[in-house]
Amino acid sequence: MNNRILIVDDDDQLVEAYRDYLSGLGYPVDTAGEIEEAQTLMSHFSYSVVITDLRLSRLSFGGLELVKFVRSLAIPTRVVVLTAYGWPELKAEASNQGVDAFLRKPMRLSDLAKTVEILSGANA
Amino acid sequence: MKKPLLETILDPQNLSVRFQPIFRIGDAENRVHSVEALIRGPRGTPFESALILFDYVRRKREERAVDHACLAAIFAEAVHLPPEFRINVNVHAATLGQQPGFVDSFRQLAKKHALSLDRFTVEIVEYAPTCDIPELAHTIAQLREARIRVALDDVGLGQSNYRMMLDCHPEYFKLDAYFVRGLKDDSKRRAVVESVVAFGRALQSAVVAEGAESMEDIAMLAEMGVEFVQCNLLCPAVTLEELLVSGVVGRAAPRLTLSADMKRLVRQAVDIAASVESPALSLNSARWVGRSRTS
Repeated sequence: MNNRILIVDDDDQLVEAYRDYLSGLGYPVDTAGEIEEAQTLMSHFSYSVVITDLRLSRLSFGGLELVKFVRSLAIPTRVVVLTAYGWPELKAEASNQGVDAFLRKPMRLSDLAKTVEILSGANA
Repeated sequence: MKKPLLETILDPQNLSVRFQPIFRIGDAENRVHSVEALIRGPRGTPFESALILFDYVRRKREERAVDHACLAAIFAEAVHLPPEFRINVNVHAATLGQQPGFVDSFRQLAKKHALSLDRFTVEIVEYAPTCDIPELAHTIAQLREARIRVALDDVGLGQSNYRMMLDCHPEYFKLDAYFVRGLKDDSKRRAVVESVVAFGRALQSAVVAEGAESMEDIAMLAEMGVEFVQCNLLCPAVTLEELLVSGVVGRAAPRLTLSADMKRLVRQAVDIAASVESPALSLNSARWVGRSRTS
């Protein structure tokens, strides 16, 4: 498994910030702004970790739709979901869907990187 | 907010066009019969690849809008092609089957760019099984009234099946590369090619083989009655500028090794295709010698 990362978020500035930081750490990074774009990329490339916002493409839980897609592919890709919400029920649902990590926004980029490091290391 | 990818794609400025020649094989000289216009997505992104670009478009179910953007980009470049070149353009069956005004908008584009409609072949591509066949047939009839020819792409795979071959009754069957690669050493693949050629003869449709990887395979295709070949071996998809300066036009072509029987078979196939042949340019070389290998 490579250590390629896919970042999925419709917030341009956040995507750039995540990408710059993770690229600086040596990860190859692709980005997508919507579910279909992310699904297309995942169908053609292998990713070690997918980082997705929970709210995506105007869908409150679009990130979980993406998680379902990842799991339907039966691939070892790890998924990190980012959200401004902290509801325990939501974390439980995300966990049930197969989310590997759940980070609450705003978070430090170093925390995101640490999570990616652990998950991509688990995939190595 | 991040600008949606679709919005970027729908701007023809962000699309680029490549042209890949389709060669008539088996006669004294291999000649360029036509060029297929192929779209590339936004440069420097994974969506520059047509495979990935159109996968995304189909997931978005935006074939119609994107087909129009692609045609706009193609027509803008096609004005610079030598008038002898026929031009093949790809259109999703979903577009043809769901948009009654497609031929009118195609006609308007051609008029805007002063391109004659009878230079065009619409290659029907289809991935979804939900195409409205009666509406598609109606649009195909309109294309023919406008003297636009029809090809069915990817024959043998997916939705380009016998039903589509019958219902579209195209002038050209484009046999997918899957059935062509390694043909010389694979009797099962040859059986598929033979069946498509026979079916094409019955329907008076010519066969275009895609993706041949050796001159031996091309000679074999000619022997079997395939009239046209499109493959990177002869010429990859190149920019308009590369096409015009590449040396593809004008130099003596290597002759294919054909037995007397093979030549007879080829001649029969050529006769069938004669009614749909256009004035063709002589090739400089049957092998691609250009600088770029973009495909």
